[in-house]
Amino acid sequence: MKLIKPVSTLLTLIPSIAYIPILIEIIKGFHIGGLNIIFQFISAAIKPSFNQEVVKSAWEGLQITIATALTSWAISMLIGIVLGVLSTDLFWKSIPKFSYLGKFIKYSLAIPRSIHEVVWGLLFIQILGLNIWVAIISIVIPYSALTARVISEQLDSFDIQPLIAIKQTGSNIMGSLITILLPKLIPIVSTYGSYRFECAIRGVTLLGIFGLGGIGTELYLTLKSFEFNEMWTCLWMLWLVIILLEKFIRFSRSYLSDNISLKNSFLISISIFTLSLSLGVGWLYNLNFELFTPLSFSYLNLPSFVEIRNGFNSLPLFKLIITTILITLFASGIAIGTPPLLLVLFPGKFPLKVQNLIWIFFRLIPPPLTTILILLFTNPNIYVAALSLGITHMGVMGRLLTDNILNQEKSIYGAIKSNGSSKQSATLYGILAPQSNSYLAYGAYRSDVILKETAIIGAVGGVGLGWQLQESLSSFDWAQVMIITATFSLLTISGEFLFNTSQNYWLNNSTNNFIS
Amino acid sequence: MQQEPRGRKLIKIAIAVLSLSNLFSIGSLKAEEILHIGAIPDQNPEHLNRLYKVLSSELSEQLNVQVRYKPVTNYAAAVTAFRTGDLDLVWFGALTGVQARLQSKGSKVIAQRDIDEKFHSVFIANKKSSIQKINNINDLKTLKDKRFTFGSESSTSGRLMPQYFLNKAGLQLKDFKGASPGFSGSHDATLILVQSGSYEAGALSEEVWKRNLERGRVDPSKVFVIWKTPSYHNYHWIAQGNLDKKFKKGFTKDLTNVFLRFNKKSKKQKQILELFSAKKFIMSKNENYNQIETVGRKMGKIK
Repeated sequence: MKLIKPVSTLLTLIPSIAYIPILIEIIKGFHIGGLNIIFQFISAAIKPSFNQEVVKSAWEGLQITIATALTSWAISMLIGIVLGVLSTDLFWKSIPKFSYLGKFIKYSLAIPRSIHEVVWGLLFIQILGLNIWVAIISIVIPYSALTARVISEQLDSFDIQPLIAIKQTGSNIMGSLITILLPKLIPIVSTYGSYRFECAIRGVTLLGIFGLGGIGTELYLTLKSFEFNEMWTCLWMLWLVIILLEKFIRFSRSYLSDNISLKNSFLISISIFTLSLSLGVGWLYNLNFELFTPLSFSYLNLPSFVEIRNGFNSLPLFKLIITTILITLFASGIAIGTPPLLLVLFPGKFPLKVQNLIWIFFRLIPPPLTTILILLFTNPNIYVAALSLGITHMGVMGRLLTDNILNQEKSIYGAIKSNGSSKQSATLYGILAPQSNSYLAYGAYRSDVILKETAIIGAVGGVGLGWQLQESLSSFDWAQVMIITATFSLLTISGEFLFNTSQNYWLNNSTNNFIS
Repeated sequence: MQQEPRGRKLIKIAIAVLSLSNLFSIGSLKAEEILHIGAIPDQNPEHLNRLYKVLSSELSEQLNVQVRYKPVTNYAAAVTAFRTGDLDLVWFGALTGVQARLQSKGSKVIAQRDIDEKFHSVFIANKKSSIQKINNINDLKTLKDKRFTFGSESSTSGRLMPQYFLNKAGLQLKDFKGASPGFSGSHDATLILVQSGSYEAGALSEEVWKRNLERGRVDPSKVFVIWKTPSYHNYHWIAQGNLDKKFKKGFTKDLTNVFLRFNKKSKKQKQILELFSAKKFIMSKNENYNQIETVGRKMGKIK
């Protein structure tokens, strides 16, 4: 075991400093005007509406969301695996003449994944209209690129000696490549795949908030018309479905990994994908979506050079970029800092389990809804946007941390505690410390995701590039839309590079790998 | 290799059959042409669903075609859905109507309500705020540094015209508390937010204000009107230019006449008119919205 470095442990707590400016600003703008609505919202949680119509439309929304998620997940995994393998150095070792192609694919994939699925959705809806394919395509584009990246990075991190050895025996190159790649690919696909499926459900829900149908649309409409009891019906049903799905995936994953040989697991992976795809498509079709009518494109006039130049002059780009970066920093602070802080403040096994449940819940509420709620009692500013984004991702981070701790050995904690230390410091050094490096590495990845999501939170919170995007879209100013999307893309690509570097730093010093 | 147990083989076959049958069961049926109608989501979805359900069934009966209502979640989405041809007939506000016509060649205004010729917005305020009733447009300045909300960012009566009058009084968007106004998304939401005190003041369509007043959803001890704007043209029906080709010759004219003939003698039509807060529908033409177009361009909402 590596030596425990308390430095990184303390570092996990430092991001929570972000609370100080956020709370100051929120309290400054606080007014009691919205409190009775907030109270109504909270009390509605324990009495969701059981009206038959409401339950029926929530159930239909859920089906749309899950079926869409299933379809786009299966497609994006298949494309992602192919692109992932194609962008490894390993693959092109066998055809060295074309290895530049691999590099080309690898770097060009940075663009599709730099743009959030909701932004893709908002753009595609302009071309394809109100069509279920808009939701599917918007998920598939960034998710395939993300999956490709993870797969190629993981594959390239393996030792390539066996491949060279096989090659030297003179056997078929493609055949040997498959022999080498397959056993490594399957475990990555099975862990990463189930994580991406959950992301897909979250993604489709978000798309719904922006009008593409499903449970997201139901949530948004009920919240916007202040029908909180109906909103909680949707929220509880979504929560229940996610928990059940998670249990099901965990169970089948552990069952499959214990009982199945490599060859069979390959066949099973393939049949899971085809089954998901046909189930998703068939389900959508049964929900009366016209999946097979040919898409009709409505072309937009591309803006002229002069219009683009005017767009540049009319947009306060510098200010928008700074705002977007600030939102990311504050939101990451909350997301990364809160879970360890709570852990140290409320140590013990029972509080840990309670925290685990709370995190599942926070993870579930889409950030635009949180923003709308916070805006009821304070003024719109970047801190509100940061807080709502931070809350959702705090759920993701907290869940991860508590899950890992629940599975972790208690020996260090016991040893420190028997030395006579307090429960708090035993938690700090015995429980948090072994996790902290990998936790910070995951935190760096989260910050990357948060940066992308500022696009959607700004739209509701009235700040940053996201808000400007919404405003330009509703004025149908394509030059501005183009400039903002490109700026966003550049910003996230640089962000990805930055967070990736810090992620690698923490991973190299890690004792326990979360991400693989 | 070891023989696979029978059960597992069966499962595999079952999975294969299931996947295939799923794909094959999907026939491609070409349905008859449907008239897709829509509306900007300016009010509670519950109200819109009721209204457009009755309207769809009445239009279907009168025109002898299938009519389907497609709800959208924001104003811009209604414009986009009209441009992409997903909607054939849309109930637009003045601003969204102009935006839609500029983007869809051949589309035209076919009808409006009697109240749309002289439409007003009202500025409302929470009783607990220090805001007073005003008589002169210049007194809108008292809203400076207050928490203020509009409806949707593309709403004519909930944003464009109120902002136009605020600017006339010398007030800019950054003059509100928090350096920007709120955008509640709809007229009903504006009312709830001002009545509850989340915002000290706001602007909404007079029609929605009156309807909420009639239904007892306004609490006069909490919220009141401080000013009514001068009148302007608002809501109207816009039809695609290709409906005659899609359905039959003269379809657009028939459609217009159906609206113009709506009256309170028929039970269903009476209900529709009531839900629209109108006595009748009247003719309207593109030119009625020139003033709105000018204002829209000035505020950057029309390019």
